[in-house]
Amino acid sequence: MSPCGRARRHTSRGAMAVLAWKFPRTRLPVGASALCVVVLCWLYIFPVYRLPNEKEIVQGVLQQGTAWRRNETAARVFRKQMEDCCDPAHLFAMTKMNSPMGKSMWYDGEFLYSFTIDNSTYSLFPQATPFQLPLKKCAVVGNGGILKKSGCGRQIDEANFVMRCNLPPLSSEYTKDVGSKSHLVTANPSIIRQRFQNLLWSRKTFVDNMKIYNHSYIYMPAFSMKTGTEPSLRVYYTLSDVGANQTVLFANPNFLRSIGKFWKSRGIHAKRLSTGLFLVSAALGLCEEVAIYGFWPFSVNMHEQPISHHYYDNVLPFSGFHAMPEEFLQLWYLHKIGALRMQLDPCKDSSLSTS
Amino acid sequence: MRYADPSASRDLLGNRTLLFIFICAFALVTLLQQILYGRNYIKRGLQFGWQSGDPLANWTGLLNVTEDPAVQSGNDSSSRYFEFYEGPFEYNSTRCLELRHEILEVKVLSMSTLSRCCNAPSFLFTTQKNTPLGTKLKYEVDTSGIYHINQEIFRMFPKDMPYYRSQFKKCAVVGNGGILKNSRCGREINSADFVFRCNLPPISEKYTMDVGVKTDVVTVNPSIITERFHKLEKWRRPFYRVLQVYENASVLLPAFYNTRNTDVSIRVKYVLDDFESPQAVYYFHPQYLVNVSRYWLSLGVRAKRISTGLILATAALELCEEVHLFGFWAFPMNPSGLYITHHYYDNVKPRPGFHAMPSEIFNFLHLHSRGILRVHTGTCSCC
Repeated sequence: MSPCGRARRHTSRGAMAVLAWKFPRTRLPVGASALCVVVLCWLYIFPVYRLPNEKEIVQGVLQQGTAWRRNETAARVFRKQMEDCCDPAHLFAMTKMNSPMGKSMWYDGEFLYSFTIDNSTYSLFPQATPFQLPLKKCAVVGNGGILKKSGCGRQIDEANFVMRCNLPPLSSEYTKDVGSKSHLVTANPSIIRQRFQNLLWSRKTFVDNMKIYNHSYIYMPAFSMKTGTEPSLRVYYTLSDVGANQTVLFANPNFLRSIGKFWKSRGIHAKRLSTGLFLVSAALGLCEEVAIYGFWPFSVNMHEQPISHHYYDNVLPFSGFHAMPEEFLQLWYLHKIGALRMQLDPCKDSSLSTS
Repeated sequence: MRYADPSASRDLLGNRTLLFIFICAFALVTLLQQILYGRNYIKRGLQFGWQSGDPLANWTGLLNVTEDPAVQSGNDSSSRYFEFYEGPFEYNSTRCLELRHEILEVKVLSMSTLSRCCNAPSFLFTTQKNTPLGTKLKYEVDTSGIYHINQEIFRMFPKDMPYYRSQFKKCAVVGNGGILKNSRCGREINSADFVFRCNLPPISEKYTMDVGVKTDVVTVNPSIITERFHKLEKWRRPFYRVLQVYENASVLLPAFYNTRNTDVSIRVKYVLDDFESPQAVYYFHPQYLVNVSRYWLSLGVRAKRISTGLILATAALELCEEVHLFGFWAFPMNPSGLYITHHYYDNVKPRPGFHAMPSEIFNFLHLHSRGILRVHTGTCSCC
């Protein structure tokens, strides 16, 4: 440290910045950057926000009660927001209109991976989103264990458009609780891989399993992850080979990404949104009335009794991928403001609940 | 240091430093993210989520171009060999019996476990009898490759060989040579008791006059499935439609020829099951293929691989009393000197140096002259 240098610093602070700019060969201030890094890490590991734990959420839900009134303006405002950010009416699925041949698209679940729509892929898309919009009454059915013994089947079947997640079982033993109608079923490529060996071998079981969703759309996120593309396309080939009633729709990666951004800006810290939230957001943009069933990611029900994770099994998900409680809180908020109706109690009677 | 730039060590928040800090922070955050969230990710074996996927399991997706083992042409079409067989054909059953004996009893010296060559009536296909559950099946060419017969594959095999020795009176083995074009042999082929065909040949109306329609066994080369039907990973109905043409013919595949063929060949069985087709699917026993090629090697057929036609003809010699070969001709000219196409349906030449077609044909002609089988090269007299 020469006195000359110190004097210079005292005298002309502004000049120093100029000098630093002019002479870039500066020594790196190790201490400052280390401190900065440590602070950032600290914030990353122990974030400022804290999620209420399961008990607190259940308590909160109980306190607020399930009294609910439809709020048309809230629903409309939310639908407007949805249209502004994601435009579900046009971008919900891959169509010939929104994804012309030769267009290159980015996978939404991959880091920097794109694909170009070629002739063979293009021919699998429908001309336009095949729903008659706007849909009147939609029911989005999650697979939560809270649906078990809920008796909501009839109420679900009353909706004009029923959406379900991840190829749920709809056999007769569940009909009373989850209904039998379905118009749109999502299917993860991972399910195709695990349950149907990627459709590389026998496809009969798959085709037979699909028969319970007669005439519904199979909604597949084909362009979210690299490894999911082939199985998803194979679903299409399989169903077209046998001339099945179901139609395969491929999710638009741009739509999924913009919905992800939308919820991220509202504070959902997850690697990826759950299928259920994607569907609810799409439904809020497409339908006039939305009711959601079976969205309850906790191990106890409202009366503190333990319930299974899904209504059909108790296979717990892998932690750290979806942020279910955060998503639930967002949906609960929407329920509170009246934009959608969340059914948590057992359905009393169809005549009573609809009135 | 004294004369160095005084601001050198005091640039606390200069542009460079800031940039460096941000890069460091970003790198560290990314690293931490990987560590914190990645641990689960790895531990769970990529099984969760909206769309995680593995590389397609047990499928080595190499585009394999196995050579089409249809009748292939040799370059030298010298007619001097041709006089060789130009004699009246008379059926010589003792000779035939002798040869059958020969085929059966050629000793394979290199492998002491094999006492008999070939033996098509019990070793032509993999059956539940000759390939019990848990067998480690050796591939024909990939000698290091071993296929474990598990329950699922085992169930696909027939209980026992569906054919026995000398079951059929008159058999026709139909090659795809261009010599069949305008031969009008259709009716004669149809009149055989048992008809073998190679490599999924077209038998549409256009060709019926020349090649007939009756088919009892049709072989399919997995390379055809790979090229024309995308390994059956995409649409499957087109392939099923093609097989439907052969009505009740059994489909015969060299599933255990090399490792790339296995998955595709097994898939054929699944396709036919899924579409509830009555057609049976059989797989060549790799040991049979090895034995047959050894046998023919001893007779001077030096090739990377013997053709499907030769295998079928060898099997037919054991299964039938009378063997007629149609369309086995691998030269650009027919016996009367007219140029012909390579196949009766197209003129796609095969890759050279894979099959030794001329040598195979000469062997057939040799057998023909000894009255063991009959090679049809002209037009058929009947009708």
